[in-house]
Formats: sequence, structure tokens, C-alpha cells
Amino acid sequence: MSLFLQLLINGVTLGSVYALIALGYSMVYGILKLLNFAHGEVYMIGAFIGYGVLTAVGGPAAPVVPVWLLVIGMVVVAMLGSGVLGVIIERFAYRPLRNSPRIAPLISALGVSFFLQASALLLFTARIRSYDTTEFISLGTGVDIGPARISLVRLLAIGTAVTLMVALTVLVRQTKLGRAMRATAHDREAAAMMGVDVDRVIVATFFIGSALAGAAGVMVGLVFGRIFHLMGFVAGLKGFTAAVVGGIGNIPGAMLGGLLIGLGEALAAGYISSTFTDLIVFGLLIAVMLLRPRGLLGTPAVDKV
Amino acid sequence: MTPIGTDEWVAEAEQRRQGDSGPLAPLRRGLMRVPPVGRLALLVAGAGLLPVLSDSTFVVRVGLNALLFALLALGLNVVVGYAGLLDLGFIAFYGMGAYTYALLSSDQLGLHWPTELAILTAVLATVVLGYLLGLPSRRLLGDYLAIVTLFFGQAFVQLVTNVDRLPLPGGRTLDLTGGPNGITGVDQFRLGMLHLRTVQDYYWLLIVVFALAAVVFFNADNSRTGRAWRAVREDPLAAGALTIPVNRLKLLAFAVGAGTAGLAGTVFAAVQLGVFPANFTVTLLIMVYAAVVLGGTGSIPGVVLGAAVISVVPEILRDPDLSRFLFYGVMVSTLMVLLRPWRVLAAVLVATVAFGFAIRGLVDWVWPGELIEAGGGGGKVADALGSWVVMTPGNVLVINLAFVALIAAVLTLTTLRPAVRHIGLPAVLYLSAFVWENRLVTDPSITRQLLLGVILVVMMNVRPHGLLGEPRVEIT
Amino acid sequence: MKSSPRQSLGVLVLVVVAVAASACGGGESTSTDDATAVPADTDVAMTAEEPAGPTSTEAAAASSAMASPTATGAASGAAVDCGGAVGVMGPFTGDAASIGQEQLNWATFALDRFNTDNGTDFTLAEGDTQLDPAQATTVAQQFISDQEIIGVVGPAGSQEVEAIGPIFDGALAFVSPSATSTDLTDGSIEGFFRVVPRDDVQGPTDAEYMISELDAGNVLIIDDQTSYSTGLADSVAQTLQDSDVTVDTDSVNQDQTDFSSLVSAIGDDVDVVFLPWQIAANAQVFAQQMTEQGKQATIFGSDGLFSPDDFTADGAYVSSFAPDIRGIPEDEELVTAYTEEYGEFGTFGPPVYAAMQAVLTAATTTCEEGEPSRDAVLAALPETSIDNSILGGTLTFDSSGDIEGADFFIFQIQDGEYTLVQ
Repeated sequence: MSLFLQLLINGVTLGSVYALIALGYSMVYGILKLLNFAHGEVYMIGAFIGYGVLTAVGGPAAPVVPVWLLVIGMVVVAMLGSGVLGVIIERFAYRPLRNSPRIAPLISALGVSFFLQASALLLFTARIRSYDTTEFISLGTGVDIGPARISLVRLLAIGTAVTLMVALTVLVRQTKLGRAMRATAHDREAAAMMGVDVDRVIVATFFIGSALAGAAGVMVGLVFGRIFHLMGFVAGLKGFTAAVVGGIGNIPGAMLGGLLIGLGEALAAGYISSTFTDLIVFGLLIAVMLLRPRGLLGTPAVDKV
Repeated sequence: MTPIGTDEWVAEAEQRRQGDSGPLAPLRRGLMRVPPVGRLALLVAGAGLLPVLSDSTFVVRVGLNALLFALLALGLNVVVGYAGLLDLGFIAFYGMGAYTYALLSSDQLGLHWPTELAILTAVLATVVLGYLLGLPSRRLLGDYLAIVTLFFGQAFVQLVTNVDRLPLPGGRTLDLTGGPNGITGVDQFRLGMLHLRTVQDYYWLLIVVFALAAVVFFNADNSRTGRAWRAVREDPLAAGALTIPVNRLKLLAFAVGAGTAGLAGTVFAAVQLGVFPANFTVTLLIMVYAAVVLGGTGSIPGVVLGAAVISVVPEILRDPDLSRFLFYGVMVSTLMVLLRPWRVLAAVLVATVAFGFAIRGLVDWVWPGELIEAGGGGGKVADALGSWVVMTPGNVLVINLAFVALIAAVLTLTTLRPAVRHIGLPAVLYLSAFVWENRLVTDPSITRQLLLGVILVVMMNVRPHGLLGEPRVEIT
Repeated sequence: MKSSPRQSLGVLVLVVVAVAASACGGGESTSTDDATAVPADTDVAMTAEEPAGPTSTEAAAASSAMASPTATGAASGAAVDCGGAVGVMGPFTGDAASIGQEQLNWATFALDRFNTDNGTDFTLAEGDTQLDPAQATTVAQQFISDQEIIGVVGPAGSQEVEAIGPIFDGALAFVSPSATSTDLTDGSIEGFFRVVPRDDVQGPTDAEYMISELDAGNVLIIDDQTSYSTGLADSVAQTLQDSDVTVDTDSVNQDQTDFSSLVSAIGDDVDVVFLPWQIAANAQVFAQQMTEQGKQATIFGSDGLFSPDDFTADGAYVSSFAPDIRGIPEDEELVTAYTEEYGEFGTFGPPVYAAMQAVLTAATTTCEEGEPSRDAVLAALPETSIDNSILGGTLTFDSSGDIEGADFFIFQIQDGEYTLVQ
């Protein structure tokens, strides 16, 4: 039981990271029907921006600002930076290709992904950096849930993720921009005819999606400590999977998918073996896909409109 | 931006083809005038000349890699180009072919089957695997298929990395794939009387295999099956309504693509004399996809050209001098294409040179003695560059800032009006030379990746349908 | 239409020249046959014919000269005219770039120092393998075609050594700074040397320490699914099982972000967790997650974790085939010079220095009789002996190409300090 609780905590932490990444994939896909393969790299850059902030305020051992401010600062700056990066990518790598065959932006995205990876290697070198979170947030603090313990960092990460997701839901459901986004996702041309500024909506979508990925990057840095230039690939793959499992294009679906993948990985590693974690997740994916080809919360297929 | 309707777009197709412009247009038109047989003959003759012209095994090796790549691209083209299925697990078939051949022709299991039989078994095994992976394609559409196949590719690598300690009844373990150490000591091909030993031998073999595959696929494309594939690609629903067996055609495409990759895999295993999990990573998948899309999805000459570019360019970039040559060469030629009339080009070039000397002089004056000559020993070009570009190799911060500034500047330039752009151009050109000489040239491995990324993005922006591909709209 | 044929022609010519130039890419520096192969090319192609190595290396040499101002003076002392290129192959990009870049830095550093100390004129040619044997074979073919190259440092991975063995085939000597798989030096690969001891030296040392000093009755071995890691894991498991120690195994993927669920599954009866990992930073995360979840087992790391900057888990043990070079007085100046120029380093760098030194020393001994050649380097390497090598003691090779008298040392980490315990 204690093991199960502990695995649950691990799974939820990992899952909330995946969910944040999946949201970006899903939102962009919902509006542009585009697989943004450079999304993982945006997350990587976000993690490095967070590291930059940490270094700028005196490093993990002796930050000149209070810890709560430091964490908020890291998340906010990383979100802004990643958001802007996402917008730049959209403007230069995807927008010119909006009416091209579907595979062209895919390759363009891979090009961006290569470019960002190599740039990170060039600028930050290949050394694996560490946030050294234990220096400013003690591992010992946390909340005991029965026999298992959830550390403060994990609580912080899960809290941030939940806050961001709630904010996103409110934004999409309640605001004018949200309505425009939903309209555009439903039918771009019709939305344009109704006076929605589609370009603006797309830019906003990229900004928000990328900002969420940036936040995920900082969270990973805080909880798992290790950031490097290739970290985006695996995380991007998992985020993509989460988005698909939940039903790509569907925002609550992305959250659910992320959580499921995270939990699946944790339980697989804890109870079976960590060797074949990915294979087990793959099995899960296949099962979901065969039972519900459009993902868990995806709308049933309409073949022709 | 005035979006146009599909019908109008289709109606204008002929007009657009005639108006095909750009630097490669004459080449494209010329190529299309040559009959297909002639094109193939040209290609085979060209490829056949390589080992004759150069006795460097490295050159032949690069040629061999290019041919392997072209074969893979041909196979992928059937799945992606003809049938329009986004198969991201393609490299697993390449690996499957290689591993099957290796298992049947090495000491790993103590088997040494005759080459022909081993190849046949490997290809059949991959065809079956392709068929199996194709099964979900009956239900899954587009991107859902993509993720399932992508994971399949990942799973393949993870599987071969880890099935080196399979528990057997009786407490013993079976080492099937050698784990991360792979399988070594794989037999070379013995086809009848022929024992293929050198890289050259395999190069000749691949030319033959490639030519055969190209002929088969060309004919398939123009057959009933090929037309049916295209129908499935353009509109599965309409194709189904016309009694085209959509599911069977999808499975066929998967199996044919997989078989081609499996065949390429057997040759690869024999050339490398071994197989390793690291051979079959997503990077390779991305490169093959890039080759297909760069050349033009669905076009055989296109994917071959794409494969050649994608496999040869990174090898050129291995060498600092050649990549420098390529860098400045491409820069100048791009300017030649973009800047018209010649006056503008001349003005920009002169301005760039002048700007460079001015900056160089200024820096010399402000921080005397801080500069170091550019990479000496590199001949006249390097010497000339050395007296023009500010060199400050140790100054990581400045170089990194310059790198970021360069990206920002180039992106900004593309959004400006031409007149304004011409004014900013000399400074940006100088900045790129600065970054290149100070940082990129000393790190050829990273530069390779960087440039590959740039090439992909730029190519897709300039010609989204690939170098030799036919522009077409997708009906959604 | 608007595009003038002349401009298009210009581009075409450029492309053709570029391809032609690439065709001589293999022997770019010397091979005259290649030059004759493309007779039609004009001076543009000739530019590409300039020697390959110097551009990058001399810039690097220049920068190192800046770091130590006396260098130029010292160089003129030795009069031997001795040069050639040394190929360096490693994973400079890709998954293992953190290891590869460190190796490349140390190789450049070693070459520059050797040149300034001995007045030689060696250059460096780099070949990125991304730890992929297929890339390694291409690089190997490039090196063997380039007659300038007289010896090779690398490759990093054992599987790469296996893959390129048949290409070098005893024609070109290669000294690996990190390939430890036991059967590489069983005589099947000609011209292969290495400056690091085999897995079957380190494995038993580590295992015996766990048994005798740590009283381990139950050991969990987690490999990272690389060739380096599985070899060591097997060797340790073998020794432990021979002594009736309970052994469990699991593995992780190097790119994995989170180990916490694996950590959760560690039983309370586990005494020692053995981590034969390549990437020290991963082990640091693993150790932190053990602390977070209150796991008491001792961490024992292989030499891959020997990295005082990245791995500082309190109470953990780490083995290393060299005493910490930061603690050897003779190496102090070297370590300072390196750190000043390239920053911190881990366990994979210093052996590259030794490997480069071995190749260059072997090449230099033949200089008296004329230009160094591949054959000369091959013949001289087994006889080469380096006093006060960076790895401590005298470095010599035995008849199979292994380093002689290899011993493993074991360190314990306390408050971030590595203390020698055996």
C-alpha cells in the first residue's frame, strides 16, 4: 500500500509535466491540424531559461531573493521566453506553409527542432546542468500522506500545473479570446468570415501552448534537477502520446492523457520493471487507440463534412 | 493574402507548371523531358562513374550510404508518397531486416544460412511485420497512425537493446540480440559464385538493387495499383465508394515499404559486418523523411535527389574547409539569385566588404592586439578572411551573443521590404561571417546539425512540395 | 520566366563544384589521386584542397598560445620537424554529447600541449560518431582514406570499436579512451589499444569491496542499457553470485527524466545499489530521489560516476581506474590549465589526454628517421612508455593492447569530497 501511494505521487508529478507539454501539442493541433514537433525543444529552452534566472539571482546556494519569489520568477520568465519562442517559430517556420501539403510543416518543424538542439549545444555546451533544488528547497520538508511522503518540490510542481490548467480552462471557456480559439478550431474559414482575426488567434495559441511547455521545463528542472540539450525529444514524444491518448485537439483530454501516461510509467517501473517502461506505455497506447481510435475524450470521427 | 478555392487551384495547375520558376526550374524542365528510362540510365551511369573516378574508399562509402538512403526513401515513398500514410515506424523495418539477416548469418545463434535464403527470410519477415503494423491503419487516421507507428519504432529499438537476457526454462538465459553490444561478425554476401568483400562490391550490388527497385516502383506507380493508391491518398471515402479496396491497398503499401526497407537492412548488416541498436534511431527516420519530402513526395527522381542531398551534405560538412567553402558558396549564390539587378548585388557585396574592413579597423583601434588572425594555413581564402573578420576565439560571451543576434537579424531581415533589406544586408552578412569564423568552423559536428536544420526549414519554405515534386492541394 | 538562365547556370555550376569537391572530401588534404580524379575543376575546387586539419586546430593552438604566453618561445627550442594528423572520433553530438565534447576538449588540449612542448606540428581531424556504429564506420573510412592521418584516438564505445575493427584492419592504430568491453582485446581486432582497464578488472574489484567492506548480502544492479553499463553489470553480478550474494537487476534508459518510481520499488532489504552508469548527473538525481524517499541502501558507482562536479551523493562509493588526477601533484598544473580554458571535467576526459599522448609519443619516436607514418606508429605504440602519465604512474601497453598494471581505486564521498578508501 505504501508503495502504491508513493508510485501514485510519482506518477502524478510526472503526469502533470506531461500534461502541460501535451496541452501545447493539443491546442496547436486543434487549431492548425499541425503536429508541432519542435514543441519538445521549446520545453528544453524553457528549462534553460529557468536555469538562467536561477544563475542570475545568485545561484541555487545563495539566491538574493526569497525562495517563493525565485520559483515564481523562474516559471514566469521561462513562460514568457518560451511563449515568444513559440510565436517566432510559428511566424517563420509554419505560417508560410499554412496552405502546403500537411507533411511540409512537419519537416519544417523537424528542421526547427534540429536547429534549436544544435543551438543549445552551441550556447550552453553539452554539460548536463542541475538546478540543485535541494540547496534552496529542502528535501526533508513535505506532507506525509499515510506511509508515503510528498515532498515540497513535488507539491509545488503539481500545484503550478493545476493552477495553469485551471487558468487555461477559464481562458478558453470564459474569455473572448477563448471563444475565438474555439471557433477557429471548429472551422477556420467560417471563423474568419465571422470576423475572427485568425492570425491573432493562432499567435495566441502558440504563445500559450509554448508558455505551458516552458513552465513544464522549469518544473522538470526543479523536481528532477537535470537539464540538457536533448531533453526535449523524449519529453516531447511523451507529451505527444498523452495528447493523442486523450484525444488530440481536446484540452481536458490532454490533461487526462498526461496523467494517465505518467501514472502508467510510474506503476510499470514500480511493479514490473523499469527496463520496458516505454513498451508498457506503448501497449497502453495501442489498447486505447484500438478501443477508441479518436482518443479517450476525442469527438467521434466524422469522416466527411 | 487571398486564399483561393481548390477548384481554381486545380484549374491553374498547367499554368503554374509552365510558370515554374526558381534557379532549378530549367534543370527540372530538362529532366522531365528525358524519358524515364533515360533518367534511370543517366543516374546509374552517374553513380557507376563514382568508383571509377575516385579510388578513395571514403567517397565510395558515402556513395554507398547515399544508395542505401535512396533505397529506403524509395520504400518510404510508397507508404507516404503513394498511399499517403504517415508511417513513423519505418526505420524499425530497416532494423528488422538487418537483425534477421544478422541472426541467420552469424555466430550469435550459430546459424550461417546461405545468403540468398537469409535475405529472402529477412525480407519476408519484414513484410509480415509491415503487414501487422499496417493493421491498425484500417481504423486509425492520419496523426493517430503516426503516433502508433512512431512508438512502434521506439519499441523496436528498446526491444533489441534489452532482449539479451531472455530467461529460458531451466534457469539459463538466451542472448538473442546482444543487447547494446549488438551482433558482430556477420557474414558477407555470397551470391552464387560471387563473394562480396569490399565496399566497392556492395556499391555495385546496390546500384543493381536500386535500379531494379526504381523500375518496379515506377511501373507500380503507373499501374492500376498505383492509381488506386493515389485515389486512397486523395480521398479514402470516395475511393471506397468507387469499390477500391482501401484497406487492402493500405496494407499492401505498408508491406511493400517494409520489404524494401528490410532488403536495405540486409545489405547494411553485411556491409557493416554487424548490427547495433544505435543504428536504428529516430534520427535516421527523420533523415529519410527529410529526403523524401525534400525531393518531392511521390516523385521517384525527387526522392532519389533528396536522398543524395541528405546523405552527402552532412559528409561535406564534416570537413571544416569544405563546409566553409559550402557556406560562403551558398551565401553568395543565394544572393545572386535573390538580388537583382546585378547593380544591387554588386553594391551589397562591396558594402559588405567595406563594412567588414571598417569594423575590423575600429576594433583594432579600440582594443589593439586583441585580435588573432583567422585560422591561418587555410590558404588564400582563409588569409583574406583573416584580415577582414574580427577574430576573438576565446570570447565565448561575445560569440554567443553574436550568434543569437545573427538569428534575430536574419529573421528580421526576411520580414522587411526589399529596399530596407538591402541596407541591412551587409551588416548581417558580416555578422554571419563573424559567427562562422569564430565559432562554427571550430565545431564542425555541431555546425552540421545546425545547418541541416536550417536547410530543412528554408527548403520547406521555398518549395513546400519538394525539389522535384508536383505542387498539389490537399482536400480536407 | 523571370529567372535568367545565366543565373541559374551559375547556381548549377556551384552545386556541381560543391559535389565534386565533396567527392575529394575523403582525401581532401593530400591524396593526389583524388585531385586528378576531378581534373576539370578550377581554382575554386583547389581552395577546398587545402589541408583540412590546420584551420581548426591552428585556431585552437593560437588560442591556447594566448592562454600560456611562453608557448611560442618554447616551441622554437626543439628542432625536430615532425607532423601529421591524428584522427579523433567520439560522440560530439547526440545523446552522449556531454561525454564526447569533454573528450574532444581534452584531445585538443593534449595535442596543443604536446606541440608546444616538443616543437612538433601535429594537427587534429575530428569525426563525429554520435555513438552510432554506422557513423563510426563512415568516419573510419574517412580517416583511412586520408593519408595525412597517422593514428587515431577513439572511438568511445565498445560497439563502435567492434564495427570499425574490420575497416582499420591493422593498417591504422587506434587508441580508445573509454571502450572497456572485455573481449575487444582478445586478439580479434588488430591495431587496437586502450588506456582504460577492461570490465573484468573493474567488476570484480567493485564486487569484492561490496562483499568484504560493505557486508552486502543483497545487491540491486541497475544498468543504463549501454554497452559500457551492461558489461560491468554482468561482471559484477557474476562475482557477487559466486559469493552467494543475492542479486537483482533492472535497467533504465539514459534519457529518462525520472527515476523515482524505480527508487520506490527498492526493497528495505537491499544493502547496496550498484549503478554502472555513464552519466554522473543521472546518478545524482537517483541519489536525491533515494534521500527524498528515505531509502537507506548504499550507492556504489562505477568509474562513469567519478565526477566531483556532478555526483556528490553523501556516503556513496565510486570506483576509478586512476587516483583522482586532481590529487596528483604532478598533474596540478595540467588540471589548472585545462579548467581555465575549458571548465570542469568528469571521468571521460583525462584518458583522452593519455591516449593522445601515447599516439603522439609513438609518432615522434619515428621522426628521427623521417616523417611519421601509420606503420611506424603501429610499430612504436607497443613499445611506447610514458613516465608520470596523467593517470598516474608509467603508462605502457601489454601485448594485447591493454594498459599494463591497471588497478582500481575506490573512493567514498563525504560532504562532496572524494576520499580514497582502497
